[in-house]
Amino acid sequence: MTNVSFDEFLLNFGFGTKDEKREVLRANPEKLIAMDLSCYDPQEFYAEFPNLVGSFAALFCDEAKKIEVHFRVRHEAIVRKMTELGFNPLEVSIVSCGFIFPRTIAQIINEAHFALEEGVAGREDINRAMRFGVNYPKGPFEWSAGRELFVRTLLGELLTKTQDKRYVASRLL
Amino acid sequence: MKLEKVVVIGAGTMGSGIAQWFAQTGCIVTLVDSSETQLQKALAGIHDSWDKLTSRGKLTGLEALKQRLSISTLDGVDPGPDLVVEAIIEDLDIKKTLFLRLTELFSSDAILASNTSSFPIAQMAEALPSPRRGRFLGLHFFNPATVMKLVEVIKGPETDEGLCHDLYRWFDERDKKPALCKDSPGFIVNRVARNFYGEPLRIVGEEADENQLREVDAVLREVGGFRMGPFELMDLIGIDINYSVTCSVWEAYGKEPRFAPHPLQRKLVEEKRYGRKSKRGFYTYD
Repeated sequence: MTNVSFDEFLLNFGFGTKDEKREVLRANPEKLIAMDLSCYDPQEFYAEFPNLVGSFAALFCDEAKKIEVHFRVRHEAIVRKMTELGFNPLEVSIVSCGFIFPRTIAQIINEAHFALEEGVAGREDINRAMRFGVNYPKGPFEWSAGRELFVRTLLGELLTKTQDKRYVASRLL
Repeated sequence: MKLEKVVVIGAGTMGSGIAQWFAQTGCIVTLVDSSETQLQKALAGIHDSWDKLTSRGKLTGLEALKQRLSISTLDGVDPGPDLVVEAIIEDLDIKKTLFLRLTELFSSDAILASNTSSFPIAQMAEALPSPRRGRFLGLHFFNPATVMKLVEVIKGPETDEGLCHDLYRWFDERDKKPALCKDSPGFIVNRVARNFYGEPLRIVGEEADENQLREVDAVLREVGGFRMGPFELMDLIGIDINYSVTCSVWEAYGKEPRFAPHPLQRKLVEEKRYGRKSKRGFYTYD
């Protein structure tokens, strides 16, 4: 994880366990914090930490650096700093475990892994099918490369929260 | 692999598009349908498309191209094509009957393929005499077939593996992006794409308001890089059609929870809110 501290604010980037995220919030009680919670439910953290003013999802952030940002208490300085850091924040009002984009993509990635696990097609064919059959900007395995742990973590969170078996992760993740 | 003569059966949207694409790649194509009216309509549509492309400078050799495409009923068709692609109505019994007829009409060298999006290749293969099954497979094109690059090359249980690889290479060397896959419900795309709709529906829930729908669409377009968001896309495809595909994949996988339809889909279908075509779906259209 990386922390960027400025004025009375702190931005926390990167993947961490829930405990590691909590530790950042506990260790900086004087700071107003916005944190990458791509794999978790921001509401759970908002309820626990009054100094958490916003959350964002940078898990699948690509070269365009567009990210979903949710504010419990909006601070223009945070938006400005994110922009200075090269991010392109899109403010959202929906607070969902895994936000909107990571949650949707995680499920597409999971299904692609199930298809691979069952021998329906190879990685390249699945990527190609989704890019050229339905114009996805990337294939599922291009999105998941190097992020398997995070996808599994997010699916695990969704499974725990909803008890819905649709979030059971493929063994290949 | 030699694919010079192609027969496409079914002159609807998919069949016409497939026939047009094969003709554009240089094949001699016969588009077949039982309805003369439908054939004339399809031919006029393809010619119109070629005329427009020519006038925009995107196509050359118009007359030669038009000569490569003919129309026919099944009784009058040349019995010696290299490839026959079926693109008729999605009805398993009708397809099985047709394929049995095709084995009688066409030589045993002809490759027989189905453009089905919903039926197992194995079930259609059952209708064929055993020796013909090695040259029977699925070739699933995407609409519009002249624009969308993907062809799913689907190996049936008895399809000659070498034939699948040869076809893969043939398409790959032309203006297509083939993907080789096993005969399983939804093949690749209609299976993996289900969650592009199912997960956003679960994010907004049954009581979603329009602002939430717009927000999800905007995030998946602007952050995700998709051309359309899931709700605007379902409205375009037809919520009834999307719901039907979802149910079909869900049933085929033994009601696996990952494919379960969402109550909001069913509710909209029951209310006849099919999307753009009925002026009301997730959004309202003037």
